[in-house]
Amino acid sequence: MSILLQAGARVVIFGITGRFGSFSIRDLRESGTAVVAGVVPGRGGQSVEGAPVFNSAEEAVRETGADCALVYVPAPLALDAVLEAVEAGCRLIAYPGDGLPVADAMEMRAAARARGAWLVGPNSPGLISPGKAKLGFAPSFCFRPGPVGVISRSGSLSYEASYRLSQAGIGQTTVIGIGGDPVKGVTAAEAVAMFHEDPETAAIVYLGEIGGTDEYAVADYAKRPGAKPVTALLVGRTAPPGKKMGHAAALVGGYADTWAAKVEALAAAGVNVARSLDQLPEAAAQSLARAGLTPAAA
Amino acid sequence: MLMLEAEGKALLAGVGVPVPAGAQLVRSPEALAALPLSFPMAAKAQVRSGGRGKAGGVRRCDSLTDAQAAVAAILGTRFGGELPDGVLLEPWLPIAREMYLSVVADGRAGGFVALYAPEGGVEVESGPPPLRYEIGPARNFRAHVFRKLLEGVEIDRGVREKVVALTRRLLQVAAAHDCTTVEINPLIRLQDGSLVAGDAKVVRDDAAAFRHADLEAALAAERAREPEDVRRCQDASLMLVWLEGEVGLISGGAGMTMAAMDAIAAAGGAPACFLDTSGNPTPAGFGLAFELLDRNPGVRAILVSMFGGGLHTDRVARTLVNILATRGPDAKPVVLRLQGTGSDAATEILKAAGYANHSSLEAAVAEVVARSRDEGGRA
Repeated sequence: MSILLQAGARVVIFGITGRFGSFSIRDLRESGTAVVAGVVPGRGGQSVEGAPVFNSAEEAVRETGADCALVYVPAPLALDAVLEAVEAGCRLIAYPGDGLPVADAMEMRAAARARGAWLVGPNSPGLISPGKAKLGFAPSFCFRPGPVGVISRSGSLSYEASYRLSQAGIGQTTVIGIGGDPVKGVTAAEAVAMFHEDPETAAIVYLGEIGGTDEYAVADYAKRPGAKPVTALLVGRTAPPGKKMGHAAALVGGYADTWAAKVEALAAAGVNVARSLDQLPEAAAQSLARAGLTPAAA
Repeated sequence: MLMLEAEGKALLAGVGVPVPAGAQLVRSPEALAALPLSFPMAAKAQVRSGGRGKAGGVRRCDSLTDAQAAVAAILGTRFGGELPDGVLLEPWLPIAREMYLSVVADGRAGGFVALYAPEGGVEVESGPPPLRYEIGPARNFRAHVFRKLLEGVEIDRGVREKVVALTRRLLQVAAAHDCTTVEINPLIRLQDGSLVAGDAKVVRDDAAAFRHADLEAALAAERAREPEDVRRCQDASLMLVWLEGEVGLISGGAGMTMAAMDAIAAAGGAPACFLDTSGNPTPAGFGLAFELLDRNPGVRAILVSMFGGGLHTDRVARTLVNILATRGPDAKPVVLRLQGTGSDAATEILKAAGYANHSSLEAAVAEVVARSRDEGGRA
């Protein structure tokens, strides 16, 4: 098992006729993921890279058995596309786009949860269960199958951190980009709970940053009796207060937003906090050792 | 985007939230003579920076002369570096009590949260944390749930009922105008028992500008006020924040840019900027990045650190070779680190042009910090 995304996932892509859509079909297929359909209103009957295009998600799901949606539409159209995917019965939806109004993120999240579905994003590369399936655009070469569950607020950091873990023989069950926005689909709290329940995941790596409260949710999990070992790396130690560091939520307002406050809370909860990116593989190996495992051959 | 108090109060008044009666906005002391004024009144600087009250931005005026002097003084003062955009004149309120009430978009709540503190005003942040009611989407607000929570912190039944009713209206404003924060601090209880918004802090969601013409216009005006460097970066889809250090950093992705900043500090240097080029990794984007860093006298050496995922670093290498060959006389030393997709080809391309490609962020950071020190010694 992995979390959320398993082998055999059947993916429908919204916005499949765009340039990024056709790239994504090839990229997902190379990672072993079945892209079975696309949805573009008014383009039903066409096909892209061999995937049939439908006018609606309902048709796409009915005709192809698609169960996961990847939504590549601009922010002003994203809420409607995600609601359509949810109501068509998709159980997992990734919306990678950034610049989404917070109110629309609230609606997407609520609609997905009301149907028992999960949203990943916005402002995220999606998720990958290495060797099984991918929903998004994280570069596949950074990942390898293994026992660590990775959660990241930042796409770029998740690629490089996972690459370093993979090089050190520490593979991943699932790497999920929860995204850099304040209101989102799967949160850090929900992701750690899923990794906790996943029998294949032996340890958790959390990649966080300044601003927001996700890090405190991870600390709350780590304090639980029987929690799986957690390693964390936080970036933004040198970010000045009051300046947004690219991500909508990466902003130091009060003390609780700072790198120091979060590292302190995580360390107090028993999380193994790597002080820099190059120390992450060693710290994750220590966590794995606590779970009775050693890294695979690099 | 943070709205000025007068703008925020206009939104609140629009849904029936009580605001001080007879408020007027002036932009010069001369304008006062023609206005119907009654005393005492408050003159309040219209600025976005916090801490206005403590910095003399709110003054009591007991006469026209007083008021003219207060307006002149406020308009001539910078608050957190910012000159006021007008002065709001309001009646001086007979305050019985100050409370705090806000509605804020919140990740933990997956939507809005309502925050209430029975003791508000300028010291609210040093008091105990406010009561927290997690709402979610605005339509999930339930008066009976909030009322029950309020019973734990607010003993005055009349205030509780008014706060419940006000909160629904704040949510209405937040939903209708795409706000991430609608805050009333202080929420004032007057001596006659009625409540009135003493201040208004309304933050609108920039991402929603596509569906609000007024917000779009306000953001355009704000962009025009940005320093030229920052504005040019915004236009070119680069994300730039200037910092105090001497190592110019050109990176990709918000998380990795922060990681590289932290690595520079850990190696004993200091980053000169947060500069994320992932939105435009093209000759135009990198060209602008080099132009700005070469021109900034505080920058002593430049690190380009890109990890190729979807990005092909061999294309980046070709772009960089062209830019590096055509830089002006103020060109700073450059350290390169292109890793990931296409990096073998990138290394070859750079080598042919006489540049080394580092295979790790740490090695590249060590070198750029050392080079920035050499340059500092020479300068």
